Amino acid sequence: MAVPKLEQLSKSVVQGPSLATGAIPTRDWMDIPVVFKEGNYAYPAKKDKVEYLNSQKGLHFPNARVWSPEDDDWKLPENWKEIILSGLKERLEKFRSLKIFMDCCVRCGACADKCHFFLGTGDPKNMPVLRAELLRSVYRNDFTLAGKIMGKMAGAREMTVGVLKEWFMYSYQCTECRRCSVFCPYGIDTAEVTMMLRELLHLVGIGINWILEPASNSNRTGNHMGLQPHTFKDNVDFLADDVENLTGIKINHTFNRKGAEVLFITPSADVFAEPGLYTAMGYLLMFEAIGLDYTWSTYASEGGNFGLFTNNETMKKLNAKMYAEAKRLGVKYIIGGECGHMWRVLHQYMDTMNGPADFLEVPVSPITGTVFNNAASTKMIHISEFTADLIKHGKLKLDKSRNSHVKATYHDSCNPARAMGLMDEPRFILDHVVDWVEMPENTIREQTFCCGSGTGLNTDEIMELRMRSGLPRANAVKYVQEKKGVNMLSCVCAIDRATLTSLMNYWNPDVRVCGVSELVGNALVIDGETRGDLEDGLRTML
Amino acid sequence: MIDLVEALRNHREKIVNRWVEYTLSTYKSSSFFLKERDAFANPVGGNTRQALERLFPLLAENADSGEFTAPLEQIMRIRSVQEFTASQAVAPIHAVKHITREVLAADKQTCGLTNDLYDFEFAVDLAVLAAFDIYMQCRERLYQVRIKEIKSGAHILTDSRCPTALLKDIGKEGSEKVESH
Repeated sequence: MAVPKLEQLSKSVVQGPSLATGAIPTRDWMDIPVVFKEGNYAYPAKKDKVEYLNSQKGLHFPNARVWSPEDDDWKLPENWKEIILSGLKERLEKFRSLKIFMDCCVRCGACADKCHFFLGTGDPKNMPVLRAELLRSVYRNDFTLAGKIMGKMAGAREMTVGVLKEWFMYSYQCTECRRCSVFCPYGIDTAEVTMMLRELLHLVGIGINWILEPASNSNRTGNHMGLQPHTFKDNVDFLADDVENLTGIKINHTFNRKGAEVLFITPSADVFAEPGLYTAMGYLLMFEAIGLDYTWSTYASEGGNFGLFTNNETMKKLNAKMYAEAKRLGVKYIIGGECGHMWRVLHQYMDTMNGPADFLEVPVSPITGTVFNNAASTKMIHISEFTADLIKHGKLKLDKSRNSHVKATYHDSCNPARAMGLMDEPRFILDHVVDWVEMPENTIREQTFCCGSGTGLNTDEIMELRMRSGLPRANAVKYVQEKKGVNMLSCVCAIDRATLTSLMNYWNPDVRVCGVSELVGNALVIDGETRGDLEDGLRTML
Repeated sequence: MIDLVEALRNHREKIVNRWVEYTLSTYKSSSFFLKERDAFANPVGGNTRQALERLFPLLAENADSGEFTAPLEQIMRIRSVQEFTASQAVAPIHAVKHITREVLAADKQTCGLTNDLYDFEFAVDLAVLAAFDIYMQCRERLYQVRIKEIKSGAHILTDSRCPTALLKDIGKEGSEKVESH
């Protein structure tokens, strides 16, 4: 039954360029062009950054130029289509997984409603199956017999500038979180499809600044921030001073020390930006408490790897500094801090790309004697594994009441949860240091919802988009905030600590964000400490 | 003959269902948003349904307009960051007027009551006005979040030139090191 006034109401508000058309689309998805406008795309990479990257050994970032997604003309190289298609051909031959992912999808739709971008926008092209179809349609057209003969009937389409623009729009509306892959009966890793789309776009000079500038900084100084060694050192020193002021514990940390047993690598955001700083203070305190023989590195001063969001060559190069520094310093193994995508690179790719690290030893905790056979190949363990093992063996003295100002919940960061299966260790730690509760079952562990801003999408010009895509996560936090009185969202990812802070500021302003190691630092009881009543833990302003 | 209060109570489910349906039809993939009832698997659909279910009895009972805020926030906070214009974001609140009138008119027992809808429709008008305010508050909050993030120092990730100059800015006081940006 139609309500005439209601129809008029719909008509009066659906004018103007908007994705929300107020009606079920009547056109095939292939026929709906993308519209770029301020707020729905991340800014293109600066020309000089692309040129710099392209000038570096082992890296390939051609066709640097000034361009804007809002312009009709993206100033693509003349032979752009040839570049894209030969790039695709090369990758189909090189990556067997890509060929399989292109061929084996039966469009069952199991992934369709699992993507946080789809759930927040309602845009069908954010259904993982359709996002992959953006590439698959071109693959069919040029690389399959059915597509060559039957064209559109077989779901094939020609590569055009419009398709390229669509790739740019939707490969940067995917955080490669891999939640969809959990539900795919064939195990198609849609994140890898996004990775391929981005790789192909880089071949014709299409990329975003928030990714390429940190990548170029990392190539130059070792970290995203572009911090030089003395600055990195000073920042860690500041944090050590803060820890001493708060607790009376003098931190005896070192940098670039040859012969240390352990090399510690964490995202540079931990030593630089709030609230990661407090997580780094937690690391410093805990290592001091157990007297770990470890060193920081001002060269391997970044755990994060924005190469993962560009192309495999960049990922490999940026990752290489970890083993190179471990070798130079002569350490036995590496401990990695709380980071998300860093662990995807370490767990899934590092050994193949830059291993085998036969100059390192299988990690053994010097305090408990535990052998971390799970890292027998990579020789690198996660701080949560290390900490949980210490707690399990009663090697840390913890006073939970020091976190009595906190009622926490735990956000499984996508990559540690889904790419390396790290789900129980952080929970075991939380059990011992803080009062905490779980979020609803279909939003945690391997089903966790992304913060909405991963894979280099944590830039402020797309804040609206980030709020939309972070809605499923924020919605679950809101539930435990209202029902259980949660006031802290803990996680083990540096990008999460930054992006969830903004997400909470919009959706749930009374919930703060912290790293698990910060809560450990708060609860640690150390001989010789002169810690007063720190009402806000390591965040207390003295 | 039943009175309006009873009529609205009797038709509540039907009206709210159509209201939810209309509101979700403003999304391209409305069928999923309508179908999936798990609020965590479907936050847009779940919150929209919950908010409108909470709001309708308040409108029907001529409750104090201050009470509209909570359910309106639940729905407007979402619509404020989606790709809607301001009017598109708010319009569905308005829709309940027409739906209610139509539903009452279609029932023999209640068709005579459509002339008594003045107070109800006035309450809807107040809710629409409140929704505009909330929409604006959400937009302002969004920009505040953006400013706060820029000030937090994360912008240096892409805008830094000289790390030594950065160090100078950091200042000597440890606790000032990030706030100063």
